[in-house]
Amino acid sequence: MNEEKDILELARQEGNAFRTPEGYFDSLEDRVMARIAAETAQTPARRPVWSVLKPALTLAAMFALIFGMGYGVLSLTHTLGRDANVAATEYASAEEEMITPASLINYYQTEPAEEPEIDEETLINYLASELSFADLAEIYAQAN
Amino acid sequence: MTDQEILQLYRSGERDKAFRALVASYKERLYWHIRRMVLDHDDTDDCLQNTFVKAWQSLDRFRGDAQLFTWLYRIATNESLTFLSRQQTRGGHLELEAAGRLSTDPWFDGDQLQLALHRSIAKLPPKQKAVFNLRYFDEMPYEKIAQVLETSEGSLKASYHHAYEKVKAWMKEEMDAKY
Repeated sequence: MNEEKDILELARQEGNAFRTPEGYFDSLEDRVMARIAAETAQTPARRPVWSVLKPALTLAAMFALIFGMGYGVLSLTHTLGRDANVAATEYASAEEEMITPASLINYYQTEPAEEPEIDEETLINYLASELSFADLAEIYAQAN
Repeated sequence: MTDQEILQLYRSGERDKAFRALVASYKERLYWHIRRMVLDHDDTDDCLQNTFVKAWQSLDRFRGDAQLFTWLYRIATNESLTFLSRQQTRGGHLELEAAGRLSTDPWFDGDQLQLALHRSIAKLPPKQKAVFNLRYFDEMPYEKIAQVLETSEGSLKASYHHAYEKVKAWMKEEMDAKY
């Protein structure tokens, strides 16, 4: 055994150089058990199923709400679209009744219906009176 | 009480009684193993209590394919290594500072040779320190150390040999400087 190895062997032979406070080991079981009890008490009880599921259910409800709102908006848009189609159809049928270049030509080529004439006396009476245009129209209607 | 009796008692429902028996059986061995790793008594006390708390928390899952002795040593070693690595993370090699404070530690009685020994061991990398301590102080067979540290016997032998040579050299250096 060389000199260097003797250093380690010598140190080993001297034994344990560390000490502990008086009675340290005597109370260790109690302290360990007390700490385990304290840590067990601090550990929150297992959460009930409801509290575990609550966040997931809230998320699902929010998703359903957003989906519902989106569906509602889309449905409404679709209805408006359908109304627009109806309106377009109505417009098309109305358009058929509208004046077209052909109908205008027909109108001018057709003999105009004989317009009822206002006789001179009626006209003088009107001018002499203070009849309104509405009164005149009524008189005119009566005359015809 | 043997390991088997402790486990039987625990499985029969007498958990507190069994655990008290387990602490009583292993408290001193584990204390000294941790103390040689972290050096300071208060730090050792923290690590030892953490070791037993973790053992309590996982004793239900202890399958019994390893010895209780090996399993507890593994937890204690991991606690010590975690403590040392946390110290290194916080800055510096605090285990070297702790070794430096040994001469004024009220719970250290060693002479210059002992101081040189523990200062030299403190210079080893933490895992190599665990190998050195388990073999040098506890005289644990390599087979057991391999189970505790979950590594191969071959690499342990090499690691211990290197650690032994380094510690010897550092001790000699320190002693030569003093005398």
